[in-house]
Amino acid sequence: MIFSTLEHILTHISFSIVSIVITIFFMTLFVHEIVGLYNSSERAMIVTLFCITGILVTRWIDSGHFPLSNLYESLMFLSWSFSIIHMVPKIRNHKKKNLFSAITAPSAIFTQGFVTSGLLTEMHQSTILVPALQSQWLMMHVSMMVLSYAALLCGSLLSVALLVITFRKNMEIFCQSDSLSFLIRPIFFDKIQYVNEKNNVLRNTCFLSVQNYHRYQLIQQLDRWSCRVISLGFLFLTIGILSGAVWANEAWGSYWNWDPKETWAFITWTIFAIYLHTRTNNNWGSKNSAILASTGFLIIWICYFGVNLLGIGLHSYGSFTLN
Amino acid sequence: METPTRRWRCLRNLVVLGACPPNVRSYNAMISGLWNSGERMKPLMMVLDMVNKGVDPDEITYNATRSDSNGSVVAPHNSSTTGKIVLTGKAHEQSFVNGVLKPYIDLSSPIPFTLHSFNSSSPTHLQHEDVETLVEKSDSVQLLKLLKKVPKRVLGVLSNLSLAIGEMGSVAALMALGTVIEQGETPDFYFEKYPEENPVFGFFTWRWVLGLGFDHMFSSPIFLGLLVLLAASLMACTYMTQIPLVKVARRWNYLNTSESIRKQEFNDSLPRASVRDLGVILMGAGYEVFLKGPSLYAFKGLAGRFAPIGVHLAMLLIMAGGTLSATGSFRGSVTVPQGLNFVMGDVLNPIGFLSTPTQDFNTEVHVNRFYMDYYDSGEVSQFHTDLSLFDLNGKEVTRKTISVNDPLRYGGITIYQTDWSISALQILRDDEGPFNLPMAPLKLSGDKKLFGTFLPVGNTDSPTVKGISMLARDLQSIVLYDQEGKFVGIRRPNSKLPIDINGMKIIILDAIGSTGLDLKTDPGVPIVYAGFGSLMLTTCISFLSHSQVWALQDGTTVVVGGKSNRAKIEFPEEMNRLLDRVPELAQISQTK
Repeated sequence: MIFSTLEHILTHISFSIVSIVITIFFMTLFVHEIVGLYNSSERAMIVTLFCITGILVTRWIDSGHFPLSNLYESLMFLSWSFSIIHMVPKIRNHKKKNLFSAITAPSAIFTQGFVTSGLLTEMHQSTILVPALQSQWLMMHVSMMVLSYAALLCGSLLSVALLVITFRKNMEIFCQSDSLSFLIRPIFFDKIQYVNEKNNVLRNTCFLSVQNYHRYQLIQQLDRWSCRVISLGFLFLTIGILSGAVWANEAWGSYWNWDPKETWAFITWTIFAIYLHTRTNNNWGSKNSAILASTGFLIIWICYFGVNLLGIGLHSYGSFTLN
Repeated sequence: METPTRRWRCLRNLVVLGACPPNVRSYNAMISGLWNSGERMKPLMMVLDMVNKGVDPDEITYNATRSDSNGSVVAPHNSSTTGKIVLTGKAHEQSFVNGVLKPYIDLSSPIPFTLHSFNSSSPTHLQHEDVETLVEKSDSVQLLKLLKKVPKRVLGVLSNLSLAIGEMGSVAALMALGTVIEQGETPDFYFEKYPEENPVFGFFTWRWVLGLGFDHMFSSPIFLGLLVLLAASLMACTYMTQIPLVKVARRWNYLNTSESIRKQEFNDSLPRASVRDLGVILMGAGYEVFLKGPSLYAFKGLAGRFAPIGVHLAMLLIMAGGTLSATGSFRGSVTVPQGLNFVMGDVLNPIGFLSTPTQDFNTEVHVNRFYMDYYDSGEVSQFHTDLSLFDLNGKEVTRKTISVNDPLRYGGITIYQTDWSISALQILRDDEGPFNLPMAPLKLSGDKKLFGTFLPVGNTDSPTVKGISMLARDLQSIVLYDQEGKFVGIRRPNSKLPIDINGMKIIILDAIGSTGLDLKTDPGVPIVYAGFGSLMLTTCISFLSHSQVWALQDGTTVVVGGKSNRAKIEFPEEMNRLLDRVPELAQISQTK
């Protein structure tokens, strides 16, 4: 009982903190950049990270197994991964405000918002582990997979942002797309940020060359960040798939079964392998790679949710229970 | 040291005199050397010389490491590339085609040499086609040369990145299709699901599914063929592209002009600094530093350049292991009631043509006990089977309690716990017995299992025989119903607690479970695991970035340039941090 209360409190704290962080982000964007506010938002993200860690740890102690056995827990872990990835550049001395936080922070809150919303309340309580899941590999395999999903999602979102900036050449269209993307999907929050960053610059400068230069720089930054984050995610995905294969050889008697979830993980792997290959050739340009990475965004979601929604294959546990 | 120009002259004279046969390789080396040393006319003349001697222009390659400043040659971004010289008569045309650098020879401009060996009427407008036809005419030996060229051509085509990407994309698409189309159903299913009258997307009918083998996608010839093609591409790419790239990367090349340093992705200049101080600081940051006079070259993370080769080799290893698994395995599954035994060889079925049984197949497996663990809530937490293995002489060779995730391995054979059922109930009826009642699985929707048995009461020969029904979900508890189908009670096996049904006393002694075992031998596993290990390792190393730094002491200023193949975000920041630490030379030393 204590654990569930504690978990409840932590969930609420982290959620409200991230909401405040998002508000600060918006203020920074729309009004003006206030350095103090921005710094405090960074500190708030650290607190959030600790809160989500707390949630996962209480669940771990409560249930006695690694908290990755159902959808609620894996989404919580995804949110945690987003905040971890958010922290990585900070640890590595990227002190200045970067584009990357604009992706990770909203991603973290939307994942968490989705989890804690009423939609999934019936699967909040931790479930028992079926025999096949009782293995040390669970920790390695699932955590690596979710981490890789988080990193790849961030990377592909950066690519989506790049595409938006590349294709929206006109100022007017820019402003329209602002309000549109507000309505369409909250996940495109990051785009709005870039758009606004760019708008600010446009307001300040009237010279076309400066405008183009800034845009070029922004695109280049986005391109480099997305490539770097995707290669990190690809690394995790490789480890995740391979550890899954080793586990499958222990539990099911075969390291590869062409189970739908496995197959889709492999498709994701292939898509991002193609992405990394296109990056080796300068002729293809960042735009085409970005299109590929954006396709990857959809494929990750198919791999994460879609396969489970169909309810087929050996990975049917740890997801929506369709009774 | 012999200068390229001098060597060229010597060699050319030898060739002209007929003393030296036209050796394509030495020519190519000469051309590369001359080209890299900045010569433009001489290598081109050499090309024509070679064509005169009957060498196919397609075989003439060069290795360009510097771009031409006057713009007549388009150099790629990489500092080095291998390419092919193609003779074309078209002047001032973009010559960077399909990633292959094609410097043209501007034959329309006056070149101070004669083309007397060519029987062409207008040498100044020599076209590529002319050269080709000339070469073709020259000898029938061409056929042999053509045959020799075939493997190289094939390699060249296979190592094409676009092709490899196309293959990967097709594999991904087919895999996606394989998860959408139901796999391994009967043809009737596909007739119904993909009818000809109402095709999916207007064209996709069962003829497609069955004709292309999409009902068993992952073993269909198309899919396997694509995988083989992909493997071939992997090999070709490793051989043709990656290994040469590493050779180039291993060369420590100093950049001797500040212009070339300033062309790097990252560049900066430090006034009043010493290149030696920079070297020390770079060394402290983990760089390998090389100093020669005023020039400095430093690099770090060379492993990041090698690792992609390792990734490709690991993929090949996994594919090889997978092939071996598919051709040399044995598989089988068996349901054994507790207390019985079986011989491994009877269960294992060969999968492919390489499957050969071993001595260990004669081992006999005895199921000592099958039991389950339960959670407090009553749900099953784990299945256990206590197995003993006996060799031909009846000697116990090993004994182990297996469970899901904890198989038994013996002599290359692995026994997995995969399934379970209840085989029989042992009961006492009015203290008679014990009787064994066989349990039958009852069909239920969903994953839950249910087993049932029936104890006839009264006249067993009558067609309307009635009796007591006993149902069990697991080995924990048995639910009993009387002749009328009314619920009587629940008993646990081993509880020895009798239950009275219409005057009949029944004691349930035991529920005998049977264990579902999967047996497997797989000679591919060690290879696949080796591939897994190296793939993980090399992917991790691939994340490292190969960073190179060049510096040149230019008076009191140090010009620094650098590039990194992956860490394009971190590298400039790291460099800035390092350069900030380079001490400024004191005023005194400058005035001295």
